[in-house]
Amino acid sequence: MTTVVYSSPFVPAEWIAAHGARPKRLRPDPGAAARSAAPVAGMCPYARALAGEAMALRDGQVAVFATTCDQMRRAAEWAALETPAPVFLFNVPATHGTPAAARLYRDELHRLGHFLVRLGAGDPAREKLADVMESYDARRRELRDALGILTPREASEAIAAFDRDGSPPTQAAHGSLPHGIPVAVVGGPLMRNDAQVFDRIEEAGGVVVLDGTESGARTIPAPFDRRRLRDDPVLELVDAYFGGIPDVFRRPDEALVAWLGRELASSGTRAVVLWRYVWCDLWAAFAARAGELAGLPVLDLDVSGDEGADRRTANRLQAFLEVLR
Amino acid sequence: MNPPLKRISMEELDLLCERRRSAGAPMAAYVGPLRRHVEEGDRRLLRLEYDASPAALRLWSFLLTEEERLHAARAAGAKIVGTMKDLGTVPVMAYALPNVVAFYPDGAWWTPCVMELSDGLFRIAQSLGFGESFCPVRAMLGAFVNRAHFPIPDLLVCSAGAVCDDFSAIAQRVESLGHPILWWEMPHRRRPEPDEPAVELPGGFSAPASQVALVRSELERVRSALEGLAGAPLGDAELADGVAQANRVRRLLAELRRLAYTAEVCPMPALEMLIAEMLAIHFCSDRAESIRVLADLLEEVRRRVKENRGVLAQDAARVFWVNPVADLRVMNLLEDCGGRLAGTEFLFSHALDLIPEDLPPMEALARMALADPMAGPSADRAARIERDARAFGAEAVLVSRIPGASHCALEGAVIGRTVRRTLAVPVVEIEVPPLADPIMPTLRAQLEALVETVMERRKP
Repeated sequence: MTTVVYSSPFVPAEWIAAHGARPKRLRPDPGAAARSAAPVAGMCPYARALAGEAMALRDGQVAVFATTCDQMRRAAEWAALETPAPVFLFNVPATHGTPAAARLYRDELHRLGHFLVRLGAGDPAREKLADVMESYDARRRELRDALGILTPREASEAIAAFDRDGSPPTQAAHGSLPHGIPVAVVGGPLMRNDAQVFDRIEEAGGVVVLDGTESGARTIPAPFDRRRLRDDPVLELVDAYFGGIPDVFRRPDEALVAWLGRELASSGTRAVVLWRYVWCDLWAAFAARAGELAGLPVLDLDVSGDEGADRRTANRLQAFLEVLR
Repeated sequence: MNPPLKRISMEELDLLCERRRSAGAPMAAYVGPLRRHVEEGDRRLLRLEYDASPAALRLWSFLLTEEERLHAARAAGAKIVGTMKDLGTVPVMAYALPNVVAFYPDGAWWTPCVMELSDGLFRIAQSLGFGESFCPVRAMLGAFVNRAHFPIPDLLVCSAGAVCDDFSAIAQRVESLGHPILWWEMPHRRRPEPDEPAVELPGGFSAPASQVALVRSELERVRSALEGLAGAPLGDAELADGVAQANRVRRLLAELRRLAYTAEVCPMPALEMLIAEMLAIHFCSDRAESIRVLADLLEEVRRRVKENRGVLAQDAARVFWVNPVADLRVMNLLEDCGGRLAGTEFLFSHALDLIPEDLPPMEALARMALADPMAGPSADRAARIERDARAFGAEAVLVSRIPGASHCALEGAVIGRTVRRTLAVPVVEIEVPPLADPIMPTLRAQLEALVETVMERRKP
């Protein structure tokens, strides 16, 4: 069975699974960045790491990148030059709310499907796709239910595990969850082991009440509509993913702004940690607006994924939360 | 060969202007001494060297009076369109309408250089969170805030999708400050699948027909917005005329480039060629006049080529230049180091290629838009550079990185690798900040080394 490795939340796992391939949304190892041999200066460490992961793929594995940022689409090209594994670049439109954008996303789903079929996967009938979607929807419901009873780090790791192989969370509920200054973490994706940032926040006296990273709850697609799922499963996928996930690359970015306002208010957040990689223009730009939008203190946490980054992050979080005590 | 014509200082160019005025030579109303712009803060002009021709004087005067032209258009009741990022497509549509003027606010990226940072645009951008990790186009944000440069457009149109992140982020910030933007999708141009209908684009790339159709439908949204702004229909006949007029500009530039980059003796300096090429993207806010300016320049170049006169030594190293420079002074520096331009790719080759006139105009414009080198893979861009560099007889390729630009880090690496392999010429990457004075010795050393390498390779 072909394994499809990807990291973008806009690539639907159920679409891949319905084609008989194994979806594996990963959090790349920061150490893989060196393997990419891509330039360090000016390049996003996450994109470098993902390119490095793609270059390590073996027979039976393929990589799917998404065009959600300039760096990522160029990283896809870079990886394709170096890896024997097939690389697919999924064109996720930046604009939304127009028939053309939704059509492009839908066409890209079909193109991905054809790509998988050419690699030996099967072309799913509508019923099969709907069944797979229903199965994912049910497991995703379990995941959502579990997130509220797990510590922030466990919740992040549960999402990572689900993304990796579709498995629902297995941790048991805690007697008590951590307490502290309620903090939101908002921003780009996490790399492997980055979930320890939630521990660092707790060590500094805070607690994450909202995981708005690209790897967090923000990008979990909305539940499917059961009736529409049977009528037109592809349309339902388009709505849930392309129509529903707020992100920073979208133009205009009103959905992300609305999501932020809504979630900050309902979570009782007192401060925002903005998680962004160095050279990430999209989140760097949003960082500057986040304070205005949230009306809360914002720590613009630029992360590099290199050695010593964890200590620097811990020190900055400590200083930030100290001011809030 | 006749002795080379010397580049001249701004004072000498102004003297030329005065002499022509005293002699009663015919000059367009906007032509005048560059000193007036220095007095308004354009101090970099004092540090540049210019071509010593009336045609160059006209070119510079045309460029430097653009903001006045825009304000005058506003005062005269024209509608102003700020078209962003697509570099060459939407202006063709806008100028097809009566009483509509289009320009690129993106052009503000040169303001910090021209004003030697006295404009304060970067400071404003920094105050909004856009510091040095962003491309110099962040100056545009400052210009929207202080309103001291271009007039705030009546309509803002910006392509999104396969564009650079810097620009997308900055434009989003502009919108958040209360300037609504019509965003239109520019998909990442990909190679057609084996069984997929494909279309050839101007410039030689190909793309899936479905992508062209998508861009066409997006440009239809732009067309509707333009019609709403102008209060007049923008029919295919008007668009076809707009395409024909744009092609007049492009034909002039094609001939100018052919002569300037292939003549045995370089007939026009690099700096003027950069400015001339820039006219293609939005006609410097006056399409008819841009045609006359370019025609003048072409006439001067033709005369020089005929007389075998040029501005540089005959053996100048022939360098193909990739990306526009943030500091104009560096174009002079290339020539100071013994180089000359032998081709360029300033990120808007799609604005130089002829737009097909045998297609429905919206189809032709969609194909042109999709040919944007920024929208496709770097490998496509590298292939185009290789082809053009070969055609112009370039002996080296220089990739000028734009500081902070999201595309430059990997793109330069891909272009360098491809060109080295296929063209077998030296490739060097430099990075040019908006004011390169502090690193001028380093840049000089890099350019001299490139020229020396070329000279060494010429030895039998």
